[in-house]
Amino acid sequence: MTFLGLAAKNLGRNKVRTGLTVLGVAVAVLTFLLLRTVVSAWTAGADHAAKDRVVTRHKVTFVMTLPKRYADDVRKAPGVKLSSWANWFGGRDPAHEDEFFATFAVDGKTYFAVVPELVVGEAQMAAFLEDKSGCIVGDMLAKKLGYALGQKVTLESGIYPATETPWTFTVRGIYTATARNVDRVSLMFHWDYLNDALPEARRDEVGWIMSRVEDPTRTADIGAGIDQLFDERDIQTLSQDEHTFLKSFMAGFSAVLTAFDIISVVILAIMTLILGNTIAMGVRERTSEFATMRAIGFLPKHIAVFILSEAVTLGLLGGALGLVIAFPLVEGLLGRWLEENMGAIFPFFRLPLPVVGLAFALSVALGVLASLLPARTAARIKVTEALRRVA
Amino acid sequence: MNEVSPAGEPLIRLRGITKEYTRGGETLRVLENLDLDVARGSFEALMGPSGSGKSTLLNLLAGLDAPTQGTVEVDGKRIDQMSEGKLASWRSNHVGFVFQSYNLLPVLTAVENVELPLLLTPVASSERRKRAETALRVVGLTDRMGHYPRQLSGGQEQRVAIARAIVNDPLLIVADEPTGDLDRASADDILRLLETLNRDLGKTIVIVTHDPAAAERARITHHLDKGKLRA
Repeated sequence: MTFLGLAAKNLGRNKVRTGLTVLGVAVAVLTFLLLRTVVSAWTAGADHAAKDRVVTRHKVTFVMTLPKRYADDVRKAPGVKLSSWANWFGGRDPAHEDEFFATFAVDGKTYFAVVPELVVGEAQMAAFLEDKSGCIVGDMLAKKLGYALGQKVTLESGIYPATETPWTFTVRGIYTATARNVDRVSLMFHWDYLNDALPEARRDEVGWIMSRVEDPTRTADIGAGIDQLFDERDIQTLSQDEHTFLKSFMAGFSAVLTAFDIISVVILAIMTLILGNTIAMGVRERTSEFATMRAIGFLPKHIAVFILSEAVTLGLLGGALGLVIAFPLVEGLLGRWLEENMGAIFPFFRLPLPVVGLAFALSVALGVLASLLPARTAARIKVTEALRRVA
Repeated sequence: MNEVSPAGEPLIRLRGITKEYTRGGETLRVLENLDLDVARGSFEALMGPSGSGKSTLLNLLAGLDAPTQGTVEVDGKRIDQMSEGKLASWRSNHVGFVFQSYNLLPVLTAVENVELPLLLTPVASSERRKRAETALRVVGLTDRMGHYPRQLSGGQEQRVAIARAIVNDPLLIVADEPTGDLDRASADDILRLLETLNRDLGKTIVIVTHDPAAAERARITHHLDKGKLRA
């Protein structure tokens, strides 16, 4: 028998209670993991943003458009290697009313060079460039909605309502991605196709301009240089590296993300209380045993170590069980389903390893935290009084 | 009234012992200016009505509590001045405890319960087990080593507790109402066992008891009343 063996045996004293506590911790760890994975997946685009891209938008808000001629000026700005532009189209396929996916009007000739993580076969790209009403869709969108090459797709848009003829496109290409965190459920079509169909007053406007720069370490300077070009114009711009741009875009969802953060902390607090309650009950039941151990020579620190060991073991078991449940659930079921069905929001929904490590470490650390008060109480019992209570 | 054992150099020497407790702002004097010697190798009993201070006196001479006034000397060492850590170490090396409710750990087998005090010593694991088995053999429980306390009778549990008390080969065994929870036959067995430990192994034993039969086994019986020893 050893000190640790004794602590382990104590956990087996009330198997139902120990089992339920481990399960409680596991559920808390699982919930924590899911929440953090949602936050991580939501911000994955910004976290993995290209380092050599600068996005230029209207200085007031990205909802307002820029004159198309700005794109030509940006292309000539110092430090800019390539640039392109795009408009948010806000399209929906009436045949799939409940499916949300991003639709952009892009400059077909330059867009895919500025966004090289979207990969389109050469023949498909050539077909797209030749067809003004052509579009390119992500492979997961194609799979989900059954889009095939050559198929006609009709979209409705609240931003650009169709006037005489509906917005009909022909699928000319299906893109894949070089990284798993890239959105593969978008649809891109020619900006010219949109622009030519718009009334005169709405023509020649772009949503944002994207540029690849020569030196990724100088994105801030190059962005500032771009903005200087338009300081004296009627419409000023704001140029940001892509990470900052996407973060500012997501600021609109910051309340949701903050709520997730708060819920994560609440979950951890609940887990600590579950553990603390179990440990405290166990300690109270064993007051006479601790008094006996103290009488025969065990020190307060020995008693405290016993209790800490039990709490750490409970945390370890609960954390491990949470991970054992989380991996197949997220990697095999939930993650795959979300990527296929909500790929526009969660292009890559997998457990991030740092979050896994954090959850496991927290389950142990909070086990220690939960046991501090019961351990202190047990270590400070008055031996003679505790023994008298037994007798 | 004071009482001093007549034979030889005492193992335990208590002088001028006063013990007070404070409860709800009121000071309660449990022992008052008490002297007591317990001879080495003696078997002595403390008797008296409830609240007379028997258990308090036992706790003081076993190093579980400290007097408000006076000195407690065991085997030539002042234990009333020891720090908590030193006192715990001293108890583990010099005192074996037997409680009325046995106080065995229910998650440990008989042999593991006996081994428990040895966890505090540098003794190797295999040697610990060997000593625990020897102690159980002394109390006649070789066939119950792997049994848990719930699988034992009250008398057997108390035998395990006695084995745990002697496994460290202590100078002194203190027993607080060791037969209080037992039927007559089991109580007699336990008392015989304590007698044997005293007679054959030379252990000094001090017991607190209400049981006149238990007191009869002791060589000396001290009577306490209202915190004082009666002649």
